[in-house]
Amino acid sequence: MKKSSLGALLVRLGGYALLALGGVLTVAPFYFMFVFATHQRSEIFGFPPPLWFGEHFWSNYQILLEKIPFWRAYWNNLYLAIMVTVTSLFFSSLAGFGFAMYEFRWRERLFGVVLATLLVPAILNLIPFYLLIYQIGWINTPKALWVPGMASAVGIFMMRQYIVSAIPKELLDAARIDGCSEFQIYRRIVLPLIRPALGTLGLITFIGSWNRFADVNVIMRTQETKTLPVVLRTLQGATDVEWGAIMAGTALLVAPLLLVFALAARQLMEGLTSGAVKS
Amino acid sequence: MQESLSKASPLSDPSRWAMRWSNFQRRYAPYIFISPFFILFLIFGLYPSLFSLYMSFQAWTPSDGWGRWKFVGLENYAFTLTDPMFWRSMWNTVWLGVFSGLPQHLIAIPLAFVIHMVLSRFKTFVTAVYFLPYITSSVAIALIFNTLFATHNGVINLVIAHLNTWPLLGALLPDQNINWFTSANIKYALAVVVVWQFTGWNTLLYLSAIQAIPKDLYEAAAVDGASRWQQFRYITLPLLRPMMFFAVSLTIIGNMQLFEQPFVLLNGGASAATPGGQTATMYMYRTAFEWLEMGTAASIAWILFVFIGILTYLNHLVFGRAARGGD
Amino acid sequence: MKRTLTLLALLAFFSLGLAQKTTLTVAVFPNLDDALKAQIPLFNKKFPDVEVKLVIQQYADHHNALTTALATGQGLPDVAAIEIGFVGRFAEGQGFEDLNKAPYNAGQYKRLFTPYTIAQATSADGRFIAMPTDIGPGTFFYRVDILQKAGVDPKSMMTWPGYIAAGRKIKSATGAFLIADAADVAWINIFATTPANNSPYFDEKGNVVVDSPRFVRAFELARNIRAAGLDARIGAWTNEWYDAFKKGTVATQFSGAWLQGHLQNWMAPETKGLWRVQQLPEGMYASWGGSFYGIPTASKNKALAWEFIRYVTTTEEAQIAAFKAIGAFPALLAAQNDPSFAEPVEFLGGQQARLLWRDAARRVKPLKANKYDRIANEILTAALSQVLDEGKDIPSALAEAKRLIERRMR
Repeated sequence: MKKSSLGALLVRLGGYALLALGGVLTVAPFYFMFVFATHQRSEIFGFPPPLWFGEHFWSNYQILLEKIPFWRAYWNNLYLAIMVTVTSLFFSSLAGFGFAMYEFRWRERLFGVVLATLLVPAILNLIPFYLLIYQIGWINTPKALWVPGMASAVGIFMMRQYIVSAIPKELLDAARIDGCSEFQIYRRIVLPLIRPALGTLGLITFIGSWNRFADVNVIMRTQETKTLPVVLRTLQGATDVEWGAIMAGTALLVAPLLLVFALAARQLMEGLTSGAVKS
Repeated sequence: MQESLSKASPLSDPSRWAMRWSNFQRRYAPYIFISPFFILFLIFGLYPSLFSLYMSFQAWTPSDGWGRWKFVGLENYAFTLTDPMFWRSMWNTVWLGVFSGLPQHLIAIPLAFVIHMVLSRFKTFVTAVYFLPYITSSVAIALIFNTLFATHNGVINLVIAHLNTWPLLGALLPDQNINWFTSANIKYALAVVVVWQFTGWNTLLYLSAIQAIPKDLYEAAAVDGASRWQQFRYITLPLLRPMMFFAVSLTIIGNMQLFEQPFVLLNGGASAATPGGQTATMYMYRTAFEWLEMGTAASIAWILFVFIGILTYLNHLVFGRAARGGD
Repeated sequence: MKRTLTLLALLAFFSLGLAQKTTLTVAVFPNLDDALKAQIPLFNKKFPDVEVKLVIQQYADHHNALTTALATGQGLPDVAAIEIGFVGRFAEGQGFEDLNKAPYNAGQYKRLFTPYTIAQATSADGRFIAMPTDIGPGTFFYRVDILQKAGVDPKSMMTWPGYIAAGRKIKSATGAFLIADAADVAWINIFATTPANNSPYFDEKGNVVVDSPRFVRAFELARNIRAAGLDARIGAWTNEWYDAFKKGTVATQFSGAWLQGHLQNWMAPETKGLWRVQQLPEGMYASWGGSFYGIPTASKNKALAWEFIRYVTTTEEAQIAAFKAIGAFPALLAAQNDPSFAEPVEFLGGQQARLLWRDAARRVKPLKANKYDRIANEILTAALSQVLDEGKDIPSALAEAKRLIERRMR
């Protein structure tokens, strides 16, 4: 008996040690990002590399402002993320509601199409998408980035799952008897009840578009229209790279994500796995 | 005309019109609700895909002007399929797919098990920490690792140099600083970045699956005298099969389209290590936007699409059957 | 009433005049932007109402963005800088103004420039798409302190075998490497042995020549240096490269004269006085780098763009300002006769290096650009790395490179 409890303790301690090691390895790059953001290039690549914060954050920040339209790019990022999130929450929940609560012809097949689009690797659509945007003359316009994302397959899937499980059909019938139109049912009954799921989908969508790169990089052609990840990338290159400034910009790019995550980590993680566990 | 008629109609029989409207909107509401997605999909998803299929049989560079393409039949496909640069990028992709994919799962499964076993109160917090890289911009991550992988005084090389002084590890590690940005070494650097970024995501997936396993199964096993290891081996692992299928599918699809990490670490293709590190999607990108061979790039996209389809199907054969059997 | 109208008209006129601070966008790559920053205040003395806005992107990004922008006709600057590796590609396309034609009539300026630059910016059908601003006479940098310590006479390095022998001496006496990357020896040989009026990789008819003996010799030299362990295996433009220059762990470097500007301004300012330059070994003269300015056809400010280009390329004061700022060697012949050329260069220990470079610039054979130069360069870089890093044999590496380049010329 005693032996087994000692063994259990050892296993437990070993587990803690393993988790701690993994945790350090996971956090270290973030830590170095913040540390390097406060140092000059010569310090970052000197010996030993800085392990603690320095005093060059402001000068790095000044370099950022001088070399790139930093806050303009930040605003572009925010604008894109907000437009995609707001429109996609609306259209995805509307479609999810349609799939969840109505019987209609071809329902299963159409839902199958929605799911099938999830399986197509997004990056392979880059060239076709570019050709289309070129054809309709939307190159270098922000709408080329958010209009196509107004309704997302992931969103429709998540919303349908949630509405099926959370809203009894009788509720809708009662509303109909009270004279609600179908859209009013969505607006007055469904929307308030799916708030938690909307929050989760909103987080996922916001983070996803905050981090976008490949398509922005080909559609947006001037420094004024590019988003922050794309503009930061242009700082990296052949000669005289200001790594301290790049790290300062990267830290400012990542900071909002960390903040959002600190506030809503549980919700985000549960939302992302709920679909996976059920399927 | 029509409008004025309908405006005049309320005179006839308001309740009947209201009834009709009510039936109409009830009948067509679901179609209207789902239509935005399908309209957008037709315009921005299906049409471009079909158009790019058409384009893959043409020779066209944007400076020729829109519409001035030249039909070349299968030339683009023949060119790509016999192009050593393309095959090298495919080899890089597959190598990275394996060496950045396998470790993710080999680490994530035991990690999830350990989190489940030894933690209670801090479970969410610890999982959240591991999950953090997944929500971080790939560009940001690649930029950070770009500094960490510096040859002289880079943090990673210094850690390796330090581990080199340890008795057992020292024999395995190189004595000189590793220059990660060469064609031979860049793949290892990329694999480290990808494993770091996505292991937490897989841990989360496996943890949620482990938590769904009923407790009494373990309790029954413990009564029968099964050790922790035996519990893991004979209960957890078999019941994780469906999740493995799902998670591995996601990894395959994700790894076959790795783009941002190599693109940034290779400085958009300007790095000397580009031949050894560029993935097929990056090669496709450069064919389109650096060399402006849109037809050839479209053919690469379709070849990759078929390739990923085959891989997904194989995964389905291997894991999918097992997953269904495990149910 | 009439007076009020006149007054209003006058007011409108003046307010227009005041508001008319025209913006001219100039797209450029580093560190040519530093040259422009020295030139723009001078330009503004003549054109005070023009605000020059710089769009700075990295070398590869700049040219790729320019390529796609030209193709789509969207997001183009008024003036675009073009590096020599890309000028052939842009000359063969249709996106730039032909400066031979009115209102530019650039023909009258051609005799003012180092002759081969004109050929580089001229397309096969005779269009002249960009004005040369700087050239890169290839030169041989060495650390005088390291050579002295090793007892090596720089003159003994003026043959390639002598260069390698000196490298062994330096390595054993000081521990310093001969050069950062053996590949640079291959490149300077390739550039220097290019026949007149050819691209480095193509002959006059456009055939790929990368398997010819001059490439074999260039690759062999690099491989011998690598095999003898004389290069530090450090790629150009990496932090390790800058570090090596700073710490003096490499003794020599081949590059364009412009490298002096980089070394002095930011890469290794603390090594002032320790560097010297001499001509390339075996009487070689090479062109390593060079920049141009062109006007995209879609520019909305063509007249002003032309004034700007004319100012920075054809006036001595602008060319000298760029030269002093970043060591951009003037393409303008008159600027090369400026008295400042005889001034000692402090960074090079007071050497009259500019006279040496001018001499080299006048002996360089004219190079012709080809639209496939970039892709050929990339494929050859990969081949060289296979030879140096993976031990592939030279004839098959070059044959393979030739095949790859030919495939791309569809």
